[in-house]
Amino acid sequence: MRDILQFFFDCVGFFFVLYMIGYASFLFLAVMVGSSTLYGAKRRNALKNELLNEYYLPVSIVVPAHNEEVTIETTIRSLLALDYKLYEIIVVDDGSTDDTSRVVQETFHLKHVNRPIQRKLQCQPAEAVFESRTHKVPITLIRKKNGGKADALNMGINAAQYPYFLCMDADSVLQKDSLEKIVRPVLEDDRVIAVGGSVRPCNGAKIRDGEVIKYRMPNQILACMQVLEYDRSFLAARIMFDKFNGSIIISGAFGLFKKSVVIDAGGYNPATVGEDMELVVKLHVFCRENQIPYRIRYATDAICWTQAPERLGDLCRQRKRWHIGLYQCMTEHRSILMNPKYGMVSFVSYLYFLIYELFSPYIEVFGVCTIILALLLEFLNWPYGVMYTCIYIVFSAVLSLTAFFARIHTIDLKLLWMDVIKAIGLCMLEVSCLRFLLAWVRMSSLIGYRKKKVSWGKIERKKINFT
Amino acid sequence: MGSEVLLYLYGAVSLSMIVFNIIYNLILNEKDRRLTSVENRFVKKMEEQLERLDRGEAAEEKHFQKLVKKLSRVGNLNAFDKMLRDHLEPRASEPAVQKYMHELQNVFLQLAVVYRDRENVQAAYFAYFLAGHRQKNHMAVDTIQDIMVDYMKKDNLYCRVNALQALYEFGSPESVVEAVALQDRMGRFFHEKILTDGLLSFKGDHRRLTRLLWERLDRFSDRTKLSVLNYIRFRSGEYQEEMYAIMTDEGADKELRLSAVRYVGRYPYPPAKQALLSFAADRDPNRWEYLAVSVSALAAYPGEDVISALMGAIHSSNWYVRSNAAESLRAHGLGYEELLEVVGGQDRYAREMMMYRLDRKRLEEEDAMERAVAE
Repeated sequence: MRDILQFFFDCVGFFFVLYMIGYASFLFLAVMVGSSTLYGAKRRNALKNELLNEYYLPVSIVVPAHNEEVTIETTIRSLLALDYKLYEIIVVDDGSTDDTSRVVQETFHLKHVNRPIQRKLQCQPAEAVFESRTHKVPITLIRKKNGGKADALNMGINAAQYPYFLCMDADSVLQKDSLEKIVRPVLEDDRVIAVGGSVRPCNGAKIRDGEVIKYRMPNQILACMQVLEYDRSFLAARIMFDKFNGSIIISGAFGLFKKSVVIDAGGYNPATVGEDMELVVKLHVFCRENQIPYRIRYATDAICWTQAPERLGDLCRQRKRWHIGLYQCMTEHRSILMNPKYGMVSFVSYLYFLIYELFSPYIEVFGVCTIILALLLEFLNWPYGVMYTCIYIVFSAVLSLTAFFARIHTIDLKLLWMDVIKAIGLCMLEVSCLRFLLAWVRMSSLIGYRKKKVSWGKIERKKINFT
Repeated sequence: MGSEVLLYLYGAVSLSMIVFNIIYNLILNEKDRRLTSVENRFVKKMEEQLERLDRGEAAEEKHFQKLVKKLSRVGNLNAFDKMLRDHLEPRASEPAVQKYMHELQNVFLQLAVVYRDRENVQAAYFAYFLAGHRQKNHMAVDTIQDIMVDYMKKDNLYCRVNALQALYEFGSPESVVEAVALQDRMGRFFHEKILTDGLLSFKGDHRRLTRLLWERLDRFSDRTKLSVLNYIRFRSGEYQEEMYAIMTDEGADKELRLSAVRYVGRYPYPPAKQALLSFAADRDPNRWEYLAVSVSALAAYPGEDVISALMGAIHSSNWYVRSNAAESLRAHGLGYEELLEVVGGQDRYAREMMMYRLDRKRLEEEDAMERAVAE
């Protein structure tokens, strides 16, 4: 019996060594590629290797909103402050039960019109349409029956007049040059069908006229740890995926899409809560199946500021949602797995998300349970186990800090000593505690999961510091 | 198992990266101070030369030779760029400054050759620098423009865009046309928007530029042709006959023909009316784009036959055709009474579209009144 158990623990040990080496190698590569790319981009920008003149592709900005009375005004004001000429703003109120519509109507003087909307994508019907042409750009508010975020986005696409649309969250604000910068990859290469922007937590930022005038690491520990997590996981990893056209997620908070391709691909799927990732994966599938040359890009210098949850409960709810969305997307498009037709998207991006995002909470919790079992059965090599755990934590913390320090290569963020101290202080806590807590949350997210249940996430909203 | 060695290695590289970033950050913090210091040195040297010129003496040849050497470093060029903007160009009307700037042309010419052979990023920056310091009546235009056309051969998109921008600033139509032709021959991707908007920013004689571009139009690819046609549409109303010929040429590319239809919509050309009406009467679903665009163009053409064609088009099954037809009917100034057939008719789609356009007209009038009252 002891031999069988020994064999079992050896196998588990071997698997985890492979698993951790895979993860460490991925993180290492991502952070290195991310840092060097940011460095190169900063140098190019300093030497004016960018499209500096006024080249404007017309863009429709779609803002789906559900009970966003607290933040919607700030969001629209940030959109009106954009340094761009040719765009329109479309707010889709998806059956809010608060005063979202009233705030928009009254603040921006919108008037009721009998506007027909073409049904290119299926969505709940519009109840009323309001417009204003008295601002810098046209503003449209569409009030519709509740159908979820994807449904609201589809309505926005239907109403969009321009060939490109930009989706964003109603609790986010765009930096004033962000639209100009997110459009640039399209001007540089006409195969580009989607561009993801860089989403940063705005906790700790002060924004005036669409420009960040003060940015500090947030005071709240939880928000601060998320900043480190964003730098390491989102910024670095997405830059690396971008290198081989392998991005399979563009954050719903900030992404630009070619409208015609999205419509041909079927638009957002209202049956999923991870509609942003699902759309991007669907675009890969659609373009490859139809042999359409395409590129999906990531614009590191196009910045959107969003609120990171400051309460643990909100963070857990957000991550549960993300995990369910990930599960739905991965199962919906499982044909990509190990399919040579999809190249690197299949063998790197999809596999990474499958193993290190979807399965990782189960694998990690299984690992902890095995350690406890080994401890109880006196199989645990204590000194070796502790050493390995410490190496892993220190290594992850070093990578977090590497990604954090790489922020100096982004256009507008400065490195302040107080922020450095906070980052060093919290990086260990983030990789050793928050990561495991979130693994548990993500693992439990599918318990009681029902396929048809789609609703807007509820996170406490605060007004963004935007003047 | 040895796997920890791999982690140590990764960790070591990451730590080196952190150290690099910290040092880079310290350098960055110093960058502004260094830039100002270099700029001040340039100002001092320049003032010395200006004093000489004020006294009626010639500027020192040695000074310009040193400048070429110094400005061959891109960091110094950056500081010099700032110096020109902040200290020299605001005083451009002073005779000494004008003489000094005249002398600088030779420095720029030599630098253009130096940077042409540099890495693309630096070459692009030099082209940007040159575009920013257009020196009317000072540049040895022909020579430097020839070199700028060479920059168009580079792989780097920004280098080509910046070089073109410099040529737009110099204002020589011949050089711009040569650069556009070179770009087209090389076949590298260049978004139509960049070319059209760039041509619109040209600082010279647009009439001559449009004529030269038109003369070479047949030799361009369809993509470049489209950019040129769009540019001409925004800039000149003198090509109605030529555009009409493209519009009615069945063998021409669809996008070019549509651009020509838009042109005769912007600059009404009576002989084109019949062709537009024919497009508007075409019910072939594969040719709906011609229908949609011609219906828009008909907004600029008077006549009962036009109104009748638009009244027919508003019942189209195509959403865009209906939308454009409604907008054109509104542009013809028709009110509810004249449009009764549509707004009171059985076709719900046509009715909704027309009602929306009339709603919009009403709101625009209300907004205008509110603005007038507020003023």
